[in-house]
Amino acid sequence: MDITRQRSFLHDEAQFARALARAAAGAIIFALPLLMTMEMWELGFYMDRFRLALFILVTLPVLFGLSYFAGFEETFCWQDDLIDALSAFAVGFLMSAALLTVFAIVRLDQPLPEIIGKIALQSVPASIGAMLARKQLGQQDDADRERRIRSSYPGELFLMGAGALFVGFNVAPTEEMILISYKMSPWHAVALAVLSLGLLHIFVYTVGFAGQESAGDDGFLSVFLRFSVAGYGIALLISLYLLWTFERIAGLSMMELVTATVVLGFPSALGAATARLIV
Amino acid sequence: MADIRENDIASRDEDGSASVSRLAWISSGLGLLLFLGSVGVLGYEGITRGNGPPVITAVVEEVVPAGPRWLAHIRLTNDGGKTGAKVQVEGQLMAGDEALETSVAEFDYVPAGSEQKGGLFFDRDPRAHALRLRVLGYVEP
Repeated sequence: MDITRQRSFLHDEAQFARALARAAAGAIIFALPLLMTMEMWELGFYMDRFRLALFILVTLPVLFGLSYFAGFEETFCWQDDLIDALSAFAVGFLMSAALLTVFAIVRLDQPLPEIIGKIALQSVPASIGAMLARKQLGQQDDADRERRIRSSYPGELFLMGAGALFVGFNVAPTEEMILISYKMSPWHAVALAVLSLGLLHIFVYTVGFAGQESAGDDGFLSVFLRFSVAGYGIALLISLYLLWTFERIAGLSMMELVTATVVLGFPSALGAATARLIV
Repeated sequence: MADIRENDIASRDEDGSASVSRLAWISSGLGLLLFLGSVGVLGYEGITRGNGPPVITAVVEEVVPAGPRWLAHIRLTNDGGKTGAKVQVEGQLMAGDEALETSVAEFDYVPAGSEQKGGLFFDRDPRAHALRLRVLGYVEP
């Protein structure tokens, strides 16, 4: 471990500076749709403070896990992953602060909790974007890492969860999620759930994207249950969590709640399916 | 674990173990500070703000001429626990018990603990009359 640790970019000032710059680029690119979404600014000041604080708390372990699996630079021990996770949060927070200030969404005459709320909410997608920057914008020489992910089932599930969170988050704050669910009948919801699950399975195992999973020797049913169904379950749970966080489910009947979860579950499932492409 | 890079050798300390670069310490320290700071501010706000309804008051800041008409700048303050959305404010120029003129403005949001500004237009000079401001209502966001 000693030799490999010395290889890490962490220990080279210039390399780390470049990784940070790349992370900043990733933060802007990945968070841009949400930075320019009206609902996000409004949620930043009116959403429940504890739910927002919890959301920020949850972000750190996600960043840590992403650093372990993908990260904007190579890491070789958990301290490195922690440093990367915190650095990504710093980059995401500062980029969000800078852009929201330029957009005049954040002004100095606003109360501090309002400013912090707006920036903190945006720093979630921005810091995840910062973390993903390596895979998307940087070099791709991570054969080890691929092995590390593929060898572990919890690793697979974590990645699907992170993908679901990231893509689901991109649409969860909008009013359309609830509006669509109001328009749908129960049969539409069933159709959408089947479609989500089917696409999830096809995207991961059939169409041949980069990073596609090989079903190996396992039978169809085993793979379908262990990965596709499990992945869709994770996508639904994350959708429900996002809807709860953004206070979109207060006062909904059980039927409406399930429909809204299935609606948001569609982008989340696609996020879970394509996590390997992004992460 | 193949390609050992040349420049990695340089970053090794004398005892042979690598030290984390100063930049990494700074950025991660800053990250920790921002992380704990935001969670702290939000948690503190959550505890102290309470969960009561919006309590919104309106005051006139100043009255200025606006073209052929008059503009009364108004300021809304929400001292309650929750944010009010679509907050309607009505301003009436009164002559005794009779309203000479009524103007209405709607604020998209008046966040808890914050101020929002707006204005009401009148045909008559509000300074010559009693200007009565009323916050009519809100919806939950």
